[in-house]
Amino acid sequence: MDIFIGILEQGMIYAILALGLYITYRILNFPDLTVDGSFPLGAAVTAYLMTNTGDLVATISLGHNPYIICLYALMAGAIAGLVTGIIHVKFNIRDLISGIITMTGLYSINLRIAGSANVPIFNLDTIFSNSTMDMIFPESLLRYKVIIIATIITIATKIILDLYLKTKSGFLLRAVGNNEILVTTLAKDNGNIKILGLVIGNGIVALSGSILMQQQGFFEITMGTGAMVLGLASVIIGINVFKKIKFVKATTSVIFGSIIYKAAMSAAMDIRFARASDMKLITAILFLLILIFSEGKKKKVKVDA
Amino acid sequence: MKKIIIGLVLILAIGLFTGCSSDTQATDIEVDQYTIGITQFGEHASLDNCREGFIAGLAEEGFIEGENLTIIYENAQFDNGISNQIAQSFVSKKVDLIGAIATPVAQSSFNAAKDKDIPVVFTAVTDPVAAMLTEGNVTGTSDKLPVEAQLKLIRAMLPQAKNIGILYTTSEVNSLSTIEEYKALAGNYGFEIVDMGVSATADVPLAVDRILPQVDAMTNLTDNTVVGSLPVILEKANAKGVPVFGSEIEQVKLGCIASEGIEYVELGKQTGRMAAQILSGEKTADEIAYEIIEKSSLYINSHVMEEFNLSLAQEYMDRAMDVAE
Repeated sequence: MDIFIGILEQGMIYAILALGLYITYRILNFPDLTVDGSFPLGAAVTAYLMTNTGDLVATISLGHNPYIICLYALMAGAIAGLVTGIIHVKFNIRDLISGIITMTGLYSINLRIAGSANVPIFNLDTIFSNSTMDMIFPESLLRYKVIIIATIITIATKIILDLYLKTKSGFLLRAVGNNEILVTTLAKDNGNIKILGLVIGNGIVALSGSILMQQQGFFEITMGTGAMVLGLASVIIGINVFKKIKFVKATTSVIFGSIIYKAAMSAAMDIRFARASDMKLITAILFLLILIFSEGKKKKVKVDA
Repeated sequence: MKKIIIGLVLILAIGLFTGCSSDTQATDIEVDQYTIGITQFGEHASLDNCREGFIAGLAEEGFIEGENLTIIYENAQFDNGISNQIAQSFVSKKVDLIGAIATPVAQSSFNAAKDKDIPVVFTAVTDPVAAMLTEGNVTGTSDKLPVEAQLKLIRAMLPQAKNIGILYTTSEVNSLSTIEEYKALAGNYGFEIVDMGVSATADVPLAVDRILPQVDAMTNLTDNTVVGSLPVILEKANAKGVPVFGSEIEQVKLGCIASEGIEYVELGKQTGRMAAQILSGEKTADEIAYEIIEKSSLYINSHVMEEFNLSLAQEYMDRAMDVAE
């Protein structure tokens, strides 16, 4: 039971990261490496705003309110996305390289913001543990506290994204990824829409970094390593497994993708015939099986048709 | 609809797997049977030595793996996300104690276990105060380097030297605190510290080329990235005639001239003995303060010393251990 709670907690928090990548990778068709920098950026901003005792920080964060701090993390990520977007669109630099440039710069910026490569925040107020939350949650629900709060935030992010994608701006965003010419014929600027997508995507990614950091209790500069790969795997697994089911929205599939990813990793840990260092190989094999499973079904459907 | 079923079956299958293994775990625990989880940040010679020592230290005190002790070992592959998941899986398996090797896994474990009444015993954490691992159900050992002893050693071997170069990785918080200590103490021995930060293994060769002309000797920290690139550093330094001092035995074996360092197997043993005290109920983790190895061990590589035509006074040679083959 506790293992499931652990998987759901991690899966839900990383699902926010996956939602961010869904925007850039799936909707914009943009392989955005900024993510490896914007994920820890959200955590770094959170670490700074939580540990800095200056008056200015206390004022702008409304007395180190963790929920307000999440919004600052989101904004910081949005700025990172804006930078990648401007580099790509205004200077005509390839998508991959634009992301790499921002990610590389963010490494130093993250260290500057956080002040150190590792910043613990045990005992400080976080979105998961503060006087209000301790009051709301009765003793019996305490062990589900993290999962409940993480799920609320993830679902809220998903709903806001779904609503946004239905607006005119959201429609244009989807069009840019699918059919740039259509956007041009509508007399809209492709570039600006791309930038907007990167801003939204990286904002969400940084929010996820901030939430993970508050859950794990410390900032660590290396926490962004592999964030892009992890998010991408969640998006692809989710969309593949659920693609034939019409009533499941893509954003929902992505959330399930993240949970499946974490479940596979957890299972890999417990497969005991292997050495501890074989865990990644086992994880890789599990992913492959999941993807073959969902692909195999698709072929059958085609034959039938 | 089939898709949903397949998905659910998959999740269930994975769940069954994890579920089963925790069940067998539970039945293993009888009277006087203990289960501990050991989590290690990555594959690394020093950290492996810590683990080996930790298990040996427990055995010395009567907690023998396979007899009355079950050890679940997990390795985080230097990945922050995995280290969280390992900590959570240990907590959900309700282990009697978590042994954590290196700072990030110690923090993850402490965070996951702090409300669950599971003690965490860490090792290879350089600065437990900065890592906030000093209060609560947690204790362990620090692998803080004996900086002063190392400076004395360099002075004894190189009476004329002025500048000491140190390479470090900007992402390793332990390296930064050790450099601060080097800088604070260097003046007492007439040295100046020249430090240069790198962010990845790929930066090391460039950084070595830049730092070598400015220094009379190099000394290493326990910085994972830099130590991992030691062969490159040694090759370039030897070509320039700059001796490189190590920070532990493995580095001297590889070709560093000498080191006043800590011995990680010993450090692990000390930690294992602390864990045994907690398991036996003698003391709680809360009551034991974290410990530092006070005594440093001197290792020399006589081949390298000959090459550089350097020697050490008899008082050093008496306690030195030569690791040259």
